[in-house]
Amino acid sequence: MNAPAKGFERVPESDVAFLGTDPVPAKAYYDADWFELERKAIFMRSWIVVGHVCELPDSGSFIRREMEFAKASLLIVRGKDGAIRAFHNVCTHRGTQLVEEAEGKRSTFSCPYHMWTFGGDGALLSAPDFESFGLEKKDCALKQVSVEVCAGLIFINFDKNPTPLRDWLQGLAEKMEDLPVAKATTYSEYVYDIEANWKLTYDNFQENYHLRFIHPRSGAAAFGTDNPFGYPARYGFNGPHRTQTIWSNPEPKIQPLQGFAMSKAVEAGMKRNIMGGPHNREYFALFPNFFILGTPVQHFSHVVYPISATRSRGVIRIYWVGEDSSATERFAREYVMATVRDVHAEDRAVIAAGQRGLSSGALDHIHFQTQEALCRHLYNSVRDTVIAWQTEQELTA
Amino acid sequence: MNTLPIGFEALAPFVDSWALEGSATRTRRRTNSTETERNAFFAAVQPQLAPALALLDTKPLAEHDPAERNLMNLCLSLAHIAQAVEAQGDHEAKHAPHREQMVITRTPADF
Repeated sequence: MNAPAKGFERVPESDVAFLGTDPVPAKAYYDADWFELERKAIFMRSWIVVGHVCELPDSGSFIRREMEFAKASLLIVRGKDGAIRAFHNVCTHRGTQLVEEAEGKRSTFSCPYHMWTFGGDGALLSAPDFESFGLEKKDCALKQVSVEVCAGLIFINFDKNPTPLRDWLQGLAEKMEDLPVAKATTYSEYVYDIEANWKLTYDNFQENYHLRFIHPRSGAAAFGTDNPFGYPARYGFNGPHRTQTIWSNPEPKIQPLQGFAMSKAVEAGMKRNIMGGPHNREYFALFPNFFILGTPVQHFSHVVYPISATRSRGVIRIYWVGEDSSATERFAREYVMATVRDVHAEDRAVIAAGQRGLSSGALDHIHFQTQEALCRHLYNSVRDTVIAWQTEQELTA
Repeated sequence: MNTLPIGFEALAPFVDSWALEGSATRTRRRTNSTETERNAFFAAVQPQLAPALALLDTKPLAEHDPAERNLMNLCLSLAHIAQAVEAQGDHEAKHAPHREQMVITRTPADF
């Protein structure tokens, strides 16, 4: 006689006991002084995802990215040599921002103010009446920011001597390079601004406890009688980064057109040879503010950029391998984007409501249960990084 | 001039309102639609989706003529309206303002 199929088993408390169970200070989610510590200790010294190599297809292709947490505008350029470099979008003459366009292609970048002109490698090529400055051109190059690429994703780091990206990723780089994003050539994108702390916003997307309450309809396929909360099957931790394995619902509730559209998305994925990868049920969360879902047909990433203690901006992208090759693939991609966006739209309002409650100061602490372990891990990582930075500052003072 | 390929003439009444260019435009149309409009559109286009895609797949996207492009855009609007009809149901009105905050900036269908 065959043994009955084993049902869902939630990740046991013992697996995440090392994270502790203490209440978490609520102030960390609204206090401006704490946010300033996070900004200096974390965001100014961590690898931050700002784009994808498919945005820089040619020599001279560039993108501009506004990094509010650093009060910086960045110009990210593919040079004549094919290398990707990041610069402050700031003319070295008197500080004028060089580029207003969000993206484009240029062989040189000229400041509109006095026409100082820079190459794609940041070198100052020419400047009117330059002899009058008593300067050397080699000393006037654009100010560079560290940039590295992993899995097609472009990361920047404001630290002048950062840990190399692959070391920083603590074993996740190789896995991420197996994801479709590493081969992506285009993407769908939607963005949102939110009156909420970056961690509060991000946390919503790393716990499933809320699914059945906030997404009773749009998320109906993600939970079932065996797993009523749709909890993940596994949690993993790599230094400050974390992963989880998304539970596969054996009996998802699927509507007729939904079933048709998703089957077309799967067929398109099979033609692209991106189905059945080793990490197609994995979720990769990179400290501090990026995650990507490995699922090939809903292969979305999400970056939550902090603006202030209680304001953030989310950028969600669904990465695609290859341009739309047929009407069916185009339809499937539009459907997937509309589906994922519907779910995220439901999250935004409840996160903002959480912020209003926290910002009132009514609570000293908030609480995370076992199945909110990734939220606790983020808080712990933030706390530990801030403390380490403070210690470093004291030692160098 | 035919607004839709032969065999899909029954969908002609929906072309002006729903054969829209751009993902952001299509989702805005969903938000601005009434339940009656959504249900009528879904009931008419959903049964034609598979044959429409089968026809459109016989040519590269760049070679679609205006009638075929209209049919493609009806299918793409259906991708949005299906969320309202099949998933949101009577939650659609409550859902709409939240959805509008998620601003679509780019999709492959926009190019």
